[in-house]
Amino acid sequence: MSEGRVIKVALAGQPNVGKSTVFNLLTGLSQHVGNWPGKTVERKEGVYSHNGTEVHIVDLPGTYSLTAHSSEEVIARNYIIRDRPDVVVAVVNASSMERNLYLVAELLPLPSPVIVAVNMMDVAHQHGVNVEPEVLEAALGVPVVPMVATKNQGIRELVQAIDDLVQDGALYQPKRPEIRDDHREVLREIRDLVSPYVPEPYPEDWISLKLLEGDDEILDMMEGRVPEDVWERVHAILREHEDAVVAIASGRYEWIGRMTRAALVRPGIGQVTITERLDRWATHPVWGLLVLAGILGLVFWLTYSVGAPIQGLLETYVVGGSAQLAENVLAGAPAWLGGLVVDGVIGGVGTVITFIPILVIFFAFMGLLEDVGYMARAGYVMDRFMHLMGLHGKSFIPLFLGFGCNVPAVMGARVIESRRGHLLTIMLAPLVPCTARMMVLAYFTPLFFGAAAPLVAWGLVGLSLAVLAVSGVVINKVAFGGELSAFIMELPLYHVPNWQTIGILIWQRSLSFLKRAGTLILVVSVVLWALAALPTGEIETSFLAGMGRLMAPVGALMGLSWKMMVALFTSFIAKENAIASLAVIYGAGEEAGLAEILPQVLTPAAALSYLVVQMLFVPCVATVATVFSETNSWKWTLFNLLLLLVISFGLGILVFQIASLVT
Amino acid sequence: MLELLLKTIGQGGVHSKSELARSMGVGEDLLAQMVEDLVRMGYLEPVGGECTGGCTDCPMGDLCAVGGHGKAWTLTEKGRRAADKAP
Repeated sequence: MSEGRVIKVALAGQPNVGKSTVFNLLTGLSQHVGNWPGKTVERKEGVYSHNGTEVHIVDLPGTYSLTAHSSEEVIARNYIIRDRPDVVVAVVNASSMERNLYLVAELLPLPSPVIVAVNMMDVAHQHGVNVEPEVLEAALGVPVVPMVATKNQGIRELVQAIDDLVQDGALYQPKRPEIRDDHREVLREIRDLVSPYVPEPYPEDWISLKLLEGDDEILDMMEGRVPEDVWERVHAILREHEDAVVAIASGRYEWIGRMTRAALVRPGIGQVTITERLDRWATHPVWGLLVLAGILGLVFWLTYSVGAPIQGLLETYVVGGSAQLAENVLAGAPAWLGGLVVDGVIGGVGTVITFIPILVIFFAFMGLLEDVGYMARAGYVMDRFMHLMGLHGKSFIPLFLGFGCNVPAVMGARVIESRRGHLLTIMLAPLVPCTARMMVLAYFTPLFFGAAAPLVAWGLVGLSLAVLAVSGVVINKVAFGGELSAFIMELPLYHVPNWQTIGILIWQRSLSFLKRAGTLILVVSVVLWALAALPTGEIETSFLAGMGRLMAPVGALMGLSWKMMVALFTSFIAKENAIASLAVIYGAGEEAGLAEILPQVLTPAAALSYLVVQMLFVPCVATVATVFSETNSWKWTLFNLLLLLVISFGLGILVFQIASLVT
Repeated sequence: MLELLLKTIGQGGVHSKSELARSMGVGEDLLAQMVEDLVRMGYLEPVGGECTGGCTDCPMGDLCAVGGHGKAWTLTEKGRRAADKAP
């Protein structure tokens, strides 16, 4: 027992383990904050006394590991190597121990002895996770101190453990992680080559490990110290074993696995198994697909049965009402102003706005599905189904990612190595029925099909997916020659929905919808109205008719008049424009809403073909922009637009011809 | 352990993180870390570019519709080589 002894202790740990709390408990008011020399990283130090020993504590920066990738990590490891603290206290969080032990795996090969402080035992217990400190101690071969720093528990034991370790080094018999067997020779080779040149105070073993790991700082340092011919041999070995870093990391994970299998008791009941149980159905290749189909059907059914009536009411009373009001107010004004306001603005934009109820329900449902965690599974299920059918395609996953929005599907194609496959996938990604398109279906189908709306909508989404599946298979045959798909997906745990999040989502989307209505769609509506009114005031002889009739021949093949073609055309700018255009062109608003007008001017077959084209037609601006940035080619982007045009019209014509025969 | 992960993925198909964790006898947290490490080392890459389904942070969030997809990763060329070589 020596009086007036001074020892150094370093505190290490990953972020979120409660290291600061432990530091504060140990040092109290004695702590002062500065900077690590030459860096902007904060350095905290403090002191306490115990049994006549003065203990200086340095709080090392919180890092996940000790690579050379960040200055924090380099600071932490250099402190331990150069300043040689008497003890390193590694703080780990009992409820994320597996993750936290990675740092411990990196600390053990360093020269200073380590004590593991398992903090937040209370939080872990709440989650049903139980850590057994004695078992962990036996497995690790180093002192383990359980703590709940926030409740001041375990501090005395930690202080004692530090004291004990310093007094009696024999306590310390760590079981360090080892490199994977097949790389042990290589490690020894490197070590034999460089050990004469390793400077004090670096440990030879650690240096060799870091070299093999490809550590930049150590590579630089040793290159300067090792003679050229020796370095060439080292370099040759490193080049030959560029995968050694995996073997080294593997060794650490193996070690972590052993430690936790021994000492960690995982939850048996709780959220994890609920997710597992639900997923047994939800991600089953067959049942899961049925669940997905069912849910989609439900969405359309709900938006129809609740949303459509409200929309109808809004159309009659709000649009119709304000049209009447405007007419009365503008009775004395010039005719064109009256027409502009009533037919153009109120008719066009107004009708679009009446779709808010459908929108809200759709967003609410989709938002709910996403928040609960189901949406993440949609792509997974579809791929598993395809797999079951014997259809293997590397492009399936990227394509199915487009289910929410096409943009990630286009970007996702990056993972396909073959240039042909990559391009083909990008070309077909806009065919994926994204939620925006599904929403358009949700509001169009009631207009055309009344009570059959949910069924039709659901069928069309199914059609899109079938087209997609076929494309995926074709791509696979044509461009991959059997390149296997190989993916990991993260399926989040199911959890109780957060209504606030969903509420905010609905609010944001509705707001941006209204903004678009008030700007883009307003402009388009006015322009359309103007084109339809000029020069004669009669739509059939207007400029618009002139332009529309150019497209009529194609439309005829689908049973669509030039008016429908114009609506289709305007939907490129924004899908909602189709509604506005139809409203303006057909003069909806004052006497009759679109819901009454449209079924009279379109046969079901024609309506169906219109929707098919709308579904597969040119994608939104964001997707086109992404196609351009991913292909880096105007040529391919234009080709894509052309391709989609041809596919959508082609199928539209086909559907019309077949449907006409049947109905 | 990492090579086992690479090898399993390399055999094809889509695996969920939880299923992989279970088959390897580790917690999902650790598996997540292993995946992150493999990404950092260049053996795996995320699918979908920057879009990870967190629409609220994305500048295109307004244009994109509702519906976050699950995150997915796949083997890079380097990863494919390592998976094939794995013992």
